[in-house]
Amino acid sequence: MASETDKDSIFAAMRESIENYDSDAAVAAAKQAVESGTDLLEAVEKGFAEPIRKLGEAFDRMEVFLPQLMLGSDAMKVGMTVLEEAITAGGGSIKSKGAVVIGTVEGDIHDIGKTVVAALLQANGYSVHDLGVEVPASRFIEAAEGQKTDIIAMSALLSTTMLYQRDVVELLGNKGLRDKYFVLVGGAPVTQAWSDEITADGYSRGAYEAVQLLDAKKEAWSE
Amino acid sequence: MEGFTLNFQPQLRVLSEEQINEIHNTALSILWDTGVQVKAPPALELLRKAGASVDEDTMICRIPASVVEQALRQAPSSFTIHARNPKFNVEVSTEALHIEPMIGRLNCFDYDSGKTHRTTLKDVGELVKLADALPCYHLLHSGSIMPQIEGVPIRATHVYGYLESIRNSCKPIKATSRERLMAEDCLRMVAVIAGGEAALRKKPYTFTTDNPVAPLLHDREQMEGALEYARYGLPIDVTSEPQAGATSPVTLAGLLAQQTADVISGITIIQLANPGNPVWYGTCGSIMDMRVGRIAIGAVEMGLINVASAQIAHFYGIPCRGTASATDSKLLDFQAGYEKTLVLTMAALGGVNKIFYPGTMEGALTVSKEGLILDAEILESIYRVLRGVQVDELTLAKDVIAEVGPGGHFLKQRHTMQFLQAEHFLPLLASRQTRERWEQAGSRTMVDQAGARVEKLLAEHQVEALPANTEAELERIVREVEQREAEVK
Repeated sequence: MASETDKDSIFAAMRESIENYDSDAAVAAAKQAVESGTDLLEAVEKGFAEPIRKLGEAFDRMEVFLPQLMLGSDAMKVGMTVLEEAITAGGGSIKSKGAVVIGTVEGDIHDIGKTVVAALLQANGYSVHDLGVEVPASRFIEAAEGQKTDIIAMSALLSTTMLYQRDVVELLGNKGLRDKYFVLVGGAPVTQAWSDEITADGYSRGAYEAVQLLDAKKEAWSE
Repeated sequence: MEGFTLNFQPQLRVLSEEQINEIHNTALSILWDTGVQVKAPPALELLRKAGASVDEDTMICRIPASVVEQALRQAPSSFTIHARNPKFNVEVSTEALHIEPMIGRLNCFDYDSGKTHRTTLKDVGELVKLADALPCYHLLHSGSIMPQIEGVPIRATHVYGYLESIRNSCKPIKATSRERLMAEDCLRMVAVIAGGEAALRKKPYTFTTDNPVAPLLHDREQMEGALEYARYGLPIDVTSEPQAGATSPVTLAGLLAQQTADVISGITIIQLANPGNPVWYGTCGSIMDMRVGRIAIGAVEMGLINVASAQIAHFYGIPCRGTASATDSKLLDFQAGYEKTLVLTMAALGGVNKIFYPGTMEGALTVSKEGLILDAEILESIYRVLRGVQVDELTLAKDVIAEVGPGGHFLKQRHTMQFLQAEHFLPLLASRQTRERWEQAGSRTMVDQAGARVEKLLAEHQVEALPANTEAELERIVREVEQREAEVK
């Protein structure tokens, strides 16, 4: 078992890896945490979750910028992989705020908006499965069904491809799965009116609004 | 229709000859070392035949410098775009400036309510009519380019949009190349205006934009659409839209090198398809605002990018299409005025030959009728700037100064009357009255004045109608496309 001092220095190294946007350091610190035998759930919270939340908040205040947010999220992601493996091997599990399947819809290659939302959700304690771009309706649903998922989030930058957001909602309905998921839509041409029209559950204009919206609607999917 | 030729030196320059060479050489090495992804099979075939190294699986084409340079040499430095009334024909060249206002955007700003609504066919017609009425606009974007028009069957938007636009203007009307089939539909309609396909090949009655996807990707639908235009020898602005830090390097030099690779690879494909096809080297490059993750389309960096792009285009002997008069403001306010004027002035002084985007606001998601009027006033004042200072015996006015003598005034001089209009730009909308007179007239802002002018122009401006048989034939094509697309669904 790690001593209190060891623990503090390991958590500090984890925090610093996020603060320095350093993936290699995040992995190294996470491995150190596993080897030291410290409480890994506490390590997740104090080593990674705290600094990444701070990073998200600083981004929201416009004190840090997108590259910092993306690199910080990446560092957390690789560090978390190390911790998750050890936690699962030990029979435990990490509690996330919710599991999100996210992607840009069919016919649309625009990656950035969706990636920012994914990074911010991750930074705020959601587990995120990013399907990438040009994701067909069926693939959103297969991915959501393939693992425990609470939220399906879809981006579209073009007014032509935004129509595919409706396809996903309709396909969910046809398969009798509509109530199982909270469906979130976004993208430049998307509006609240469009979200209402296709009976999505939520719309957000920006990335941080997406986090706030999901945080506020948590009861919609959490048990 | 005449454009405006810069008649004074120096023009605005942001790159030295050496820096232009460095950017060009970097672009050539990007095209050979990294390559571009070309998802259109006919374009791949053209590149392969010309000597590019093509990877069938990844569709990455590595293009030798010699192929690119040969293609660039074939692109003309000047060309004519025809209008259905020849007095509006546009002589594009590396020395002229023409303006392409934005017509079709998803949203239209309603000045009275201060809100936006989805752009309708009526909006498209009115926007085009205003652009037809305003002499500073030469080449008209149109409803044909819009992905959707409220109330119109979505897969027939391009043909509805073209018809509504050509009806409302005698100036050259842009058509879409977003997909091959859409391009074919539009070009059938343009051929009706031209008097047949053979006539269209001789006289380009339209033009289009081909957008490579930054970084380094030519998408299938878009490129196949552009190749349809090349089949008829129609002018194409090949325009990359990199956002520094997101879809290009964060540095402006990196953006310019990558943008150049995007654009000249597109131009190479078009020249291989049709040697000598008219093209513009185009930029819609800007920065991403890293605080919000959105393109900043009113950013001052766009001014630098426009000027640098014009320098690079002219190094190739090709006209430059730039992007200016855009704003991130949601209103027609101080932010809009400053963002538009700054970038527009830089682009114009930098020698950009076609400036696209007047009329837009809100990151170009929205277009506005009042905006077209307001931007026209900025443009008219910039044209005054471009006319420069004329210095000769008459304008130096030594005799007039002698006649007036010390302590006199020039108000009663014939010389004053004679040169007033040529020398002074008198804005139509900006107020130069005293506060008292301005208040008596209702304390109206410039935007209020623009609103009144929108109404006046829409009520009074007459557009030469299409001949009845032309209108009927265009209508027939619209119905045919609408029916075809309805059956697909």
